[in-house]
This record gives sequence, C-alpha cells and structure tokens, in this order.
Amino acid sequence: MAHLSKSFGPARVLREVDLQIAPGELHGLVGQNGCGKSTLVKILAGVYTPDHGGSVTVDGRALALPVHPLEARAAGLSVVHQHLGLVDDRTVWENVRLGRYRAGRFSRRINHKEEKQAVEAVLARLGRHVDVNEKVGALSAEDRAAIAIARAMQDHSPGGGLIIFDESTRALTKEARARFFDLVRSVIDGGASVLLISHQLEEIVQVTDRVTVLRDGVVVEGGIPSVKTDEASLTRLMLGRHIVTHSRVDSHAQDRTVARVRGLTVRSVSGFDLDLKQGEIVGLTGLVGSGAVAVAEALGGARQARSGVLTVGDKDIPLDRQRGSTEEFIAAGVAFVAERRLEQGLAAELSVAQNLTLPRVRSRGGRLRIGGAWQAEETAAMIKKLDIRPPDPHQPVGTLSGGNQQKVLLAKWLAGAPNLLVMHEPTQAVDVGARHDIIEAIRGAAAGGCGVLVASVDAADLAVLCDRVLVFREDRVTAELSGELDADTIIHATFGAPGDAAEPAQRAGDHDMKGVVQ
Amino acid sequence: MMDAARQDEREPAVAAAELADPAREPESRRRRWSVTSERHFASRYAIIGVWAAMIVVYAATEPVFFHVRTFQSIFNGQQPLVFMAMALLCTIIVGEFVDLSVPSVFVFASTVLAVLVVNHGWGVWPAAIVAVAAAMLVGVINALLVVKTGVNTIVVTLGMGTLLQGISMWMSNDNTISGMSPGFQKIALTDVGGLQISFYYGVVLVLAFAYLLAFTPLGRHMRFVGASREVSRLSGVRVDRIRFGSFVFAGLLSGVGAVVAVAALGGSFTAASADVNLLPVFASVFLGTAILEPGRFNPIGTFIGIYFLATGVFGLELLNANVWISPVFYGGVLVVAVTISTLLHRRTT
Repeated sequence: MAHLSKSFGPARVLREVDLQIAPGELHGLVGQNGCGKSTLVKILAGVYTPDHGGSVTVDGRALALPVHPLEARAAGLSVVHQHLGLVDDRTVWENVRLGRYRAGRFSRRINHKEEKQAVEAVLARLGRHVDVNEKVGALSAEDRAAIAIARAMQDHSPGGGLIIFDESTRALTKEARARFFDLVRSVIDGGASVLLISHQLEEIVQVTDRVTVLRDGVVVEGGIPSVKTDEASLTRLMLGRHIVTHSRVDSHAQDRTVARVRGLTVRSVSGFDLDLKQGEIVGLTGLVGSGAVAVAEALGGARQARSGVLTVGDKDIPLDRQRGSTEEFIAAGVAFVAERRLEQGLAAELSVAQNLTLPRVRSRGGRLRIGGAWQAEETAAMIKKLDIRPPDPHQPVGTLSGGNQQKVLLAKWLAGAPNLLVMHEPTQAVDVGARHDIIEAIRGAAAGGCGVLVASVDAADLAVLCDRVLVFREDRVTAELSGELDADTIIHATFGAPGDAAEPAQRAGDHDMKGVVQ
Repeated sequence: MMDAARQDEREPAVAAAELADPAREPESRRRRWSVTSERHFASRYAIIGVWAAMIVVYAATEPVFFHVRTFQSIFNGQQPLVFMAMALLCTIIVGEFVDLSVPSVFVFASTVLAVLVVNHGWGVWPAAIVAVAAAMLVGVINALLVVKTGVNTIVVTLGMGTLLQGISMWMSNDNTISGMSPGFQKIALTDVGGLQISFYYGVVLVLAFAYLLAFTPLGRHMRFVGASREVSRLSGVRVDRIRFGSFVFAGLLSGVGAVVAVAALGGSFTAASADVNLLPVFASVFLGTAILEPGRFNPIGTFIGIYFLATGVFGLELLNANVWISPVFYGGVLVVAVTISTLLHRRTT
C-alpha cells in the first residue's frame, strides 16, 4: 500500500520502502531506533513530504502526496500515537469527536446530542460500553485505548481502512495489553487492516499476522508470516549482520578491581552487586524495561537510585542521593555516555571544542581563565584519535553527522581518562565507519586500565567488545555469559527462559549472582 | 524523532573520496571556509554597517546632527540602559526566558536610595548599600520561585515587576524624589575625555561580562546551562546554583546601575519609567544577538545594540521631534532583530 523514499538534506532516511498490508490483516513493523520507522509514520500522517516518486494507496485509492489529513481520513487512514493523544480533563465524546465537530449552520453551536450519538455508535461497533459523558482521565487504561481506537476508526467505512498504532501499547500493563489486542482483533474482524509498530517483539510475534523489518531505512524482510519467526530471529534481522569489522581480541582485564557496586536498588532492580576489574569490559543487556538500562544510568549518575554504593578507587559514592550535578562522579573518574546524545550528551549549538572540554573546564582551568592551550591540544588529539569529521574544533556540534556527534560525545569523556566508563548504546544509529572507530576507542580505553560498562541491546556490539555480559530479565540478572561470546548466544539468553543459556563456553547464571569470578 | 532519523545520515561516497585523495581535502575545505566566513562576516557586522549608514544619512539631512554635542548626549545618556540590559543578559544566557522585572528592580533600588537619603536623612553610602541589597533580595526571591519552586519565569517576573512598581509608587508618593547631594553626583558626572564617567562604567561592565563568558570556567558553564540543562547536569555543572546565582547577580547589577543613575539624575526614577525602559532593554538585548556572535546573546553585541538604538531615536527626534517616534523605532527594531537572529540561529543548528 505504500512505496516511499525520504531524504533530509544529504541523508536518505528511507530508501524505496515498500509496505504491503492485506485487507483484514494485523501487520507488525519493527526496527531499531533510528531505522526510519518514525519517519515512515510521519509521512503517512502527513507530517513529512516524501521524496518524489512515492505512492500511498488505501483500498485501491491513491492518496495525493504529501498526505493531507482530511483526505487520509476520507480514505480511511488514521494513526494512533504513542500516548493515544487524549485530553484527560475532557469527556469521552469530546475526545472522540475532536476536530470533527459539526457546528450548527447559523448558531455555530456544537450539537451535543448528535455528537454523543455518533460516539455511542462507534463504541458499539467496537463492542465497548463506555459512558460518553465521563472524563477520559477517570477511565481505565483499556477504556482509554478504546477511546483512541474509536477516534481513529470512526470515519472508516465498515470493511476497509487502515489504522496505524505507533507504540500505542507502551503505557499499558500486561493485562491491559491483552484486552487491548482483543479490541484490535475486533477492529480487524470488522474488515479494517492494522499496522502495529512496537518495540515489544514478544507481542509482535504473538498477535500479528505478518511482520516487516526495517533497518537503516531499508526493508530487510517484508511480510514474514509471524508464525514462522520468533523474537530472536527478528532481533537478528533488526540489527543485521554488521559488516564484520571486528573480531574479538584478547581481554585487557587485569587483576586489580577498579570499581565496586554494592546493594544497588533502582527502579525494580534490587540488590545488584558488581566487581569490575581494570581494563574489563562488561555488557549489561536485556529487553526494554528489564533493568539493565536503569542500572547503567544509576552508575553513571543520571538516575537517583533507592540505595547502593559505587566505589571507584578509594572513593565511595552513595547512589541514593539527589544531586544537582554529577560533579562527584566525575571527580571520582566516572564517565557516562548517555543514549540520547543531543539531549543528554552534547549541546548542539556549541562547538566541538567547547563540548569536548566541558567536564574539565573547572579542574584544568584556572578560576579566572580556562586557558586555550590545553583545550586546543585536547580537542586536536581527540579529533585525530577518533577521526572526527570535519576536523574543525569550532564547528557547532549540531552540524555534524550522527556518527561524528557520537564520537565527540565519547571523546568528551575519554579525554578525561576515566577510571570507569559507563555507556548506553554507544553505537546506536551510527554508520559502519563510525562504529569501527568507536569500538576501537572503547578498547583503547580498556587497554589503558579503564573499567567499562556497556548497556546495549546490540548483541553484535556486546559480542565483540565484552569480557562478560550480564543478561537482565524482569529486574534480575538471570545469566552471566563470558568466554568466547557470539551475538546469537546473547540474543538467546536475552529472550530465552532464565537459565537455559547454558552452553559449553558459557556459564548459566543463578538468580542472586554476586559480581564475578573469572 | 527527526533527529533520530537524521542520525542515520551517512555519506560513504564523500568519505571515501576524501580518504582516497587526501591532497584534495584541504583545498576544498579552504574554499568552503572562505564562503562561510564571508557570510559569517556579513552577519556579524551588518548592524554596525547599518549604524554607520544611519549616521551618514542623519548628518546629510540635518547638519546639526554631526556635532560633538550630539555624540555626547547619545553616549552619556545610556548608562541605566547598559546596566539593565546586562542584568537581563545574566538570566537570559542561562536559559531563563525572560526576566521582565529588571526595569522595576532598577526603579525600586533608585527609590529606596532616594527615599532613605532625602526623606530619612541617611548618609548616601549606607543608603546605597541598602538599595543594592534590596535589589539583590528581589533577585533571591525571583530565584527561589523560578529555580527552587519551578514557577514560570515570565509570570513570576511580570508579577514581581508590577509589585515593585507599586511599592516604589507608595514609597515615593509617585513623585521623583530629588535633593541628592551635589558631591554624590560626581560619581556619575565627572568628565573624562569629554564623556561622563558613567559611560565608562558601562564599558568596563560589558568588557568584564564578555571576558567572563568567553574565558572563565563559570562563563562556559553558564553558556552550557543556557544551551541544555540536562547536558550540563550530566557533565558535572551545578545547574541550579548557576541559575540561582544569575538571578541574584542580575539584582546586583540593577541595584548598582540604579545608584549610579540616581547620582547622575540627582533623584529617583518614577515608577512609570520602568514601563518606558522595558522595551529598549529587550530591544537591545535581542538586537545584540544579530551582532558579533550571530544567533547568540552576547554582551558586546548588546552594548552596540544600545547605542545603535539611541542613535536612531536621537536622529529621528531631531528630524521630526515627535514623541511617537521612539516607541515605533524600538518596537520595530525589536521585531526585526528577533526575526533576524532566529533565522541566523536556524542556520547554525
């Protein structure tokens, strides 16, 4: 039904993406962050204009591009966004009819009675009985989902149309999710098609009919029947076979412990302990919400934990304090490379040199003068080391490509020669060349004696980088993999049942595993 | 989300070409540099060019304009504006959008000083210290509400500004309180090289502020807090402390500026002058973003902006001595300046 490309300036974000959704089908769309999913949805929602030559067809009717919301509505194409797009302190009928109110011809008044009847009719089609005068904020999560669906499908003629759910299940609990999908099923039984975009691979495999996988703006697999696939193989398709730029190298781990974590309790992870050796690279992985990310953020100082102490060198850092800044972490030699580089990592409008030297302007500079020499020296050294392009220290960071921004972010912390480097998705949405340079730089840091923690869902990265990988499932470390790692083993341990990752080279973890024994 | 999509950007062909032919790269880079730097030059100095052109036009149409006394009156009269604009800059640079109370704090401090000296017979210096302390106290209250409590800056400072105007009116019975000692006037009116010494206070303040931002760790931290609080926090910058300090320092600048201005005027400012000053303060700070460092708030640009506006208004009044000229000019320039700076900013990010 859609055939599209999209470029932003020189960047082609979508390349000849072809998406076919059969009538009455529940079609899943998956891909990593930055693969182009959001761009695709925004084209279908009429936010972006696709490149010339694309087409969008619904029930045999070709839409003019860019998609115009009113025309899309008439053709039966609608999008339910991540947070459902409901206004909590308005009633059910007002929410459903928003943007569609029919005003009286002369009075310009809204005819409440007519509107309410229309809403009741739509809800009846969904088989839900909700009081249309109730405020949406007072409803249960599933009723709210029903309201969002009702709004999306009210203009569809029965037996046609397409509803796109863009991460709509994120806010729902597990139980509510099951009922949500019952609802979606009933929409499909009415003849409409559904495109479900989700990070929850489990639900994609369980509920959809077919799945399309998007990677780097290209469809890698279009419409695989869901019964013939599973989470692990979808993950492999999403990540792709990275061009093999790396093989494992010998571990740099030394005998001395560089960092120790005791009794970390954050989100619903409790009692997490870890001993990290100098030069050791440890991966933290797991599904969305499994706790791996929360642990990394707590250790990097980005998130306040409920309890726990991080010891780096001879400094104890309590992790349960509310802090105005990460000063204490930085002083102890802890560096945190955040996932969202332009929100947490770098200031886009300021220059490469300014961003790169920020954590050290106070410690290396005098009180009244930062001093230009060390800044120039440090920046030049890092630009060379990580091959940052263009090699201009005065370029605003926002004008660099994603890969080069990521390099600047890593350089910002590596330049401080940290004792503990905590990273969250260090190679997300960067190109092959940048990935190569970043992995080299991380290894270089480890060789220099820095302890490294990598929180990532990218099994291929973890396999080439890590000495061990801790796999989180439902707020616990359920497996610890070490020795010769490969991506498949890690994926298997992430999705498989707890404890069944035991293979000759690996040791299956037990539930209250403490730190490490090599 | 668009950012995420953009991060996909890759140009293997370009990268490969540069790798293959390293000799070509410096040349192409040099060419690119000269093109951007020309454009850069134009956007940095455009306003200064307009300023020069304005002076030429005025001088041509009204010969009286080109006279030493013209320049004296332009340069001598702007000290209050310079201090207020720098006070506004303090908070705007750390990302507080926008402190509307600055001109009222200024009037408030001037009233405190004059009332204490004239009505209560205090010595000038103790009264000046109390006036500055009062202005800083207002900064502390603003900071508590905005930084600690998280109330919207515009609403807090709008309310605070109106409140202080009211208190100033009450203290002064809505009159200009004059009768400061002539000796005190010397701190503002002493002649140095043909201009009043208060002009040089402004110059020193602006240069010190520019130095702070460009060369000190504190200034770098302020820039980053203004650009992104989260990035700063995760880089070890004490974000809230810097925001708090900016409000207090803004109060200090308003207070000190008011003391000097009271000396120059020989009395307090009326509450109504706060409203009159509000727009010129904003116009010059925003105009400053189109000067020297395009798209960025900066002290020297703001300083030039103040004199650009003063020249424009002075000339227009000379040509056509109408009261309505000044609001039309200030308002128009503010809108144009903000538009230009938004466009410049969009180009760099």
